[in-house]
This record gives sequence, structure tokens and C-alpha cells, in this order.
Amino acid sequence: MSEPVILLEHVVKRYGGFTAVDDLSFAVAPGEIYGFLGPNGAGKTTTLRMMLDIINPTSGRIVILGSDSAIPVRRRIGYLPEERGLYKKMKAVDSIAYFSQLRGMGRSAARKRAMALLEEFGLAEFARSKCEALSKGMAQKVQLLSTIAHEPELLILDEPFSGLDPINQQTLEALIRNQRAAGRTIIFSTHVMQHAERLCDRFLIMAHGQKRFEGTMSEARASFAQRLHVRTTAPMEALTALGGVAGIRVEDKSGAETTYEIELEDGADPQAFLERAVAAGVMLTRFEQAGATLHDIFVSLAGDDEEATADARPAMKEAAE
Amino acid sequence: MNQILLIAWREYRQYVFSRGFLIFLFMFPLGFVAVSAAVGVAERTKPVRYFVVYDETGLYKDDILERIERRHLYTVIESLDAYFRISLPESGAELPAPFAPAQLDEKRLAAFKAAGGSSAAMAAAKPLLKPGAPDFAEPRLPYKLAGLPESARNAASLSEIEAALRPYLLEDRRIATPEGGRPLFAAILIPFDFGAAEDAGEAQYWSRHITDTELQSRISAALTDALKRAKYNEMGVADDAVKAIESVDAPVASFRPDKAPDEAELGLKDRIESSLPAAMTYMLLVIIFGVGNLLLTNTIEERSNKIVEILLSSVTANQLMMGKLLGIGAVGLTMPTIFIAGGIGISATIDTGGQESIAMTIVSALTSSNLLLVYLFYFFCAYLIFAMIFLAIGAISNSLQDAQSYMGPVMLLVFAPLPFMIMVFQEPNGVIATILTWIPIYTPYAVMMRAAADPPLWEIVGATALMLAFAIFLMRTMGRIFRQAILQASPPKMREVWRLAKKEAA
Repeated sequence: MSEPVILLEHVVKRYGGFTAVDDLSFAVAPGEIYGFLGPNGAGKTTTLRMMLDIINPTSGRIVILGSDSAIPVRRRIGYLPEERGLYKKMKAVDSIAYFSQLRGMGRSAARKRAMALLEEFGLAEFARSKCEALSKGMAQKVQLLSTIAHEPELLILDEPFSGLDPINQQTLEALIRNQRAAGRTIIFSTHVMQHAERLCDRFLIMAHGQKRFEGTMSEARASFAQRLHVRTTAPMEALTALGGVAGIRVEDKSGAETTYEIELEDGADPQAFLERAVAAGVMLTRFEQAGATLHDIFVSLAGDDEEATADARPAMKEAAE
Repeated sequence: MNQILLIAWREYRQYVFSRGFLIFLFMFPLGFVAVSAAVGVAERTKPVRYFVVYDETGLYKDDILERIERRHLYTVIESLDAYFRISLPESGAELPAPFAPAQLDEKRLAAFKAAGGSSAAMAAAKPLLKPGAPDFAEPRLPYKLAGLPESARNAASLSEIEAALRPYLLEDRRIATPEGGRPLFAAILIPFDFGAAEDAGEAQYWSRHITDTELQSRISAALTDALKRAKYNEMGVADDAVKAIESVDAPVASFRPDKAPDEAELGLKDRIESSLPAAMTYMLLVIIFGVGNLLLTNTIEERSNKIVEILLSSVTANQLMMGKLLGIGAVGLTMPTIFIAGGIGISATIDTGGQESIAMTIVSALTSSNLLLVYLFYFFCAYLIFAMIFLAIGAISNSLQDAQSYMGPVMLLVFAPLPFMIMVFQEPNGVIATILTWIPIYTPYAVMMRAAADPPLWEIVGATALMLAFAIFLMRTMGRIFRQAILQASPPKMREVWRLAKKEAA
């Protein structure tokens, strides 16, 4: 990997006795789309805020765009927080230009760029409308455009899909892909696994402030128990006897045949299972290898933490968010 | 720095270029003019108040009428002086002495009356008036004597006459006047034994208009003078001699010991110089209250609208805080600056006949001393102290309702020195002034109030140093609260605020 755009080493964030982020380490390569997944209260937003130096870590090291602090390189970063707003009385074009100016653009360049983006995203006629007059979807677009207007090298998007309708979700997906095509690095957190599955080169799953997984989708699948769907007249015991089976259940039974879902043991090869079935004379009318979805992986790795999070004291949850 | 200015400019624009501010800016002087015009109109349209006098002694009616007419003549001469100052090119220099604007005393009043009064003054001034000068509107005589109604004339005693006049005083009936029936404003009943002796009867003033005491004061003064004159007569002093004594005005001039003998006489400029610090202190209080509220609502808006996190990804919390302080502080200074500049502009366009206008005197008082610099310095100090408190409250509140619980004590702090200001004004180097000077949050107010009274330098330097140290401490403490609380989703509780103030979370 070339020099990472973001590097976190053993980062810890504590609020009193509550640990919001616990010994987190990961790196994001240039040009990557990196997913940041985790249930509520997992510590995603806290991590993103620490990356941006909005809050300080209790311990550990963060390097962003080659700098030990985000402050000197803030102009090269675009950040869309999870909870976002606009100045109600400000016009759409002024909002985009203002935030771009805050991130280092000149006044006239910022206004030109703001107008161009509004035109590109079909909002030209609302450029001079006050933000309070925009629909929720339009306001979200304006917020997103404010994030990218200064053409940052690194985009950090906290739950960017939340609250968007399906059409705007598609638009955002396209925008993220375009940004990557333009050579930018994108980190985004999300609850919606389909987006992450479609977009991310790599992702990280967090729960309880700790890293549960980091890698590509195929790496995740490889490390996740394999599942098979088979249809046969053979009884369940015959299939279990083939070996490498961690679990089995009946999915469907019609006529003489039954469909089973089989969970293989860790590291078990589905092809070897098939070979053993043929060798044992178990006749299969269906053999389907079902790869684990990101949703399965997420629920498996982080699902147990939902309850734990709900039990956490509200103040702690808030601090972590 | 650029980002701080950018934030400051946005804050400034948001308020100063808002429709509300521009309307206020336009409406305020308009309101001022409207109020002045309304007072003028009310004065001109004020109905003539009729009163009756029932004098069993038959001695005092003329004294009462003479007093009312003399007071009216004062008003007429004052109005004419103001009119001539504006309408004559050279301060009425060519007008005869009693008509030309000058100090008004009994001597001039008598000379003015003897020279023919206002009609003679206008006749003398007419050829000298500037072309297009408006006509002089002479103030009307505010109180006129009416005759007793028939029912009262036949009364045999004061109680009977009081009973006869009651329906008129209650405005159930109208009194006959040359202009027709009019409400009766007051009745003065003087018993036959009225006098200065201890067992003498007292004059009665009857009126339902108990808050309007002007006529009562004039009658009281007229009767007092009449009794004094009677006493003089008893002692053998002739009437003319008494009148000559009464027309004496003691010439007293005020001087300042801190000026050269030829410049020491107290003038308008001196009086303005000594009153300006008080006026500026009150202005400071109003501004601090106004901009403090702006800071509060503005911070609450950014916090509740979730804009703050986007801002904090672009600037540091300190830069955001400084930008807001700078922008809103500039808003606070804009209003007085516009009004002062506007006042000077308007004043410059008014021809005052070679005399320095009040506005120009104020400007001259401000610029000839270091008062303006002192004001600006302490304005910023006071602003910093209170603005930091308002910012911190904004940062720990999601709504104005949340902020209310903190605002009560803060408002009490802001306005606590108000009742003491008069004492400081009257005795700028007294105990109250000294105590207020040494309380850091009130140092700016106290020092400004005392600015023109040459307070001890060591006291000002010491108290200012203490105030600056306090301001720095407050900036650090409130800054800590602002930085840590501004991103919290729900407002911290009081105990947590205390924790935030003490220590920055790592």
C-alpha cells in the first residue's frame, strides 16, 4: 500500500469511565472507497470527529493526509456530518460558497463553483432561494455540494445516505463513484449494507468501540462460514455424515425431495463436500453455494452489540455518537 | 485569520443587512422625529385650560393672572430665540437688545415687554429674516381665566361655591368662555382670612387633573409672592421697591479649576463633557444586552440546526468563537456609529447662525479628549466579559427555553450596577464608585462613568489589570465550556457544566 491517506494507530477515546473507541487501528489507501460500518453507539462518529481533530483522542496516533493533525490539512478534506444543517436565511448558492470559502477557496471562485454544482445537480433555479424554502431532499443536496465544492482530496461522509429517498441515494452513489474516479479517497459510515456492498473497496466493522473486521468483501466472505442449499431425497443424517457440517436445517419439503440449508464448518471447502456426496451416492438435484452477504457478516459481527448499546447510559451513548 | 474574518463578516451581514435591522435603523430616527413632532403637535393642540378664581379677599386674582402671563412670556421669548437662531443669518445681531437671542432673565423680560412684546420683535426681525424662513408660531397661553358660573356667583360660602362648581369640575357641565362652553380645569378658592399667619385660612386648589400640577405650582408661586409683598409692605417697603427686589437675578457663573482662567468658565461643552461618560455607560449597557442576546440566539441556532459540526470541520472552535465575537461586536458598534454619524451629518446641514450645534459640541468633546479611546477600550473589555458568558450559555442550550434558566442570573449581573450609576455620576470618586471599579465585571462601567472626573490613576490601572486578568480567566473557562458543549447532542446538566469549565477533556 502506498502511504495511507488516513492512519489510525491504537486510538482510544474515553469519556470518564466510558470507552467510546477502544484501541482502534486501520489505514485507508489513496483512491479507496472505505466503508465504516457499525451499529448505533459503535464509536463511528467519534472516530470520524477524532480524524478531523474536532475532538482529541485520549491516546493513540492519527495521521491524516500526512499530517499529525487535521487542522493544517482541513482545506484538503470535505466532511459531511451525520446531523447536518444549513443557515435558514442564507441562499443556497451562498451556503455552498461560504463553506467553500471557509475551506480556503477565493470568494468569486467559490461562487462560480457553487453555481456550477447547483446547475449540475438540477438545482440552478433554487440557487437564490433561502435554505428554509428548500425541500428536505434539496437541502441535503446543498449540504453535500457544500462538502465537495472545494474539491477535496479526501471525503469523509458520516451516514450520507440517511434520510435520502431512493432516487437521491442513487445520485449519491453515482457522486461517490465519480469522486473516486477523479482520484479522491472516500470514507463513509453507513447502516445500509447494500450501499457499502456496492461501493466499498474495503470496509471496517466496529462494535462497542472496537474493530471487529477490516478488509474486502471477499476476505469477509472467506472468513465467514460457508452456506449451501441442497435438494435431495436423502435424509438429514446422510448429509451430516458427509462431514464438515456445522449445522443443517430444512428449508422446504415438497414431494419426496427436501431442500436443506447447510452451514459448513470454518475452513470447510464446498467443492470437497460435493465430491464426498457424489462418492457416498447421495443424489443431489440442487447444489447452490450461498455466499454470505455483508448484512449476514454485519449482523454476525456486530449484532450482539445492539442490545449492549441500548443498555448503555444515555450520556455515554451521546458522547460516543 | 482569514477564516475568523469570514465568520465575523457572515455574522455581521446576517444582522446588519437583515431587513429587520434596516427597518429598525430607518424607524428609530423616524420614531424620534415622530415623537418630537407628536410632542410639538400635542403642545400646539393642547386645549386651553380654563380655571376660575373665587377670591373672598379680592386681593389675589391679579397676582395669579400676572404670574401666568409672565411665565407665558418666558416661553414666548425662548421660542423666539430658537426661531431667530435658525431664521436670522447672523444670530440676530442687528435686532434690538431685548429681541436678540440672549440669556433670559427678569431684566430682559421686562425690557422685552416694554419694547412691545412678540409682535414688536417679529416686526423688527421681518426685514432680516432669511428668504423662505417659516412663519413664527407663537406658543398659546396655556391657562385662561373664566368667569364664575351663575350658580357659583350667588353662593354665600366657600362650601356652597365648591358645591356649585363641582359639576363643572367633574365636566358634567361646561363653563362659559368667549370661545363657547369649555371644560373647567381647576378652581381656586381663596377664603377671606387667607394669609401668612399660622391661624390664617388656606387657599384651595380644586381639580380632577391631579397629575397635571403645572397650574397649581404657578398659583402657589403667585400667592407666595403676593403674601411676601404684603409682608414687605407691612415692614414699610414700598410696592415699587418690592418689585425692584423681585426682579433681581443673582448672576452666578460656574468655573472649572482644572482650566486656565480665561477658559475656566463652565459652558455647554463642559457640561456635555461631564455628562457624556454617563450617557456612554448607559449606551454600553444597552449594547451589551442587545448583542449578548444576538450571540445567544445565534449560537443556539447553529447548535440546534447542527451547522456547528460542519463549521468545526473547517475551523477550530477557537476560530469560530473569535469570529462570532468579532462579528457580533461589530454589530453592537454599528448602531451607535450610524446614529452618531447621522446626527453629525444632520447637525452639519443645520445653519445655527454661527453657533456651535449640540451635536458638533458632542463631537468636539469626544475628539478633544481621550474619551472615545477610553470608551472603545472599555466597551471591548465589557463586551468580552459578557459575550463569553452568553456564548457559553448558547453552547449549552438547545433552545431559548433551555437558556432561560441561566439568563436570569446573568441579566441580574448585567443590570445590577444600574441603580448605583446615579451615585457614581454624582460622586465619581466616592465609595460606591471605588467599590464598583474594583469589581471586574463592573470595572468598564465604573471607569467610564468616572472618566471625566480624574479618578486616581493607580486605582484605574490596578482595577483595569484585575479586570483584564478576570477577562482572560473567563475567556479560558467559558471557552472550555463552549468548545466541549457545542457538539453535545443534549444540553449538559449544571454539574457537568462545572466539570467542563474546570477541565478540557482529552
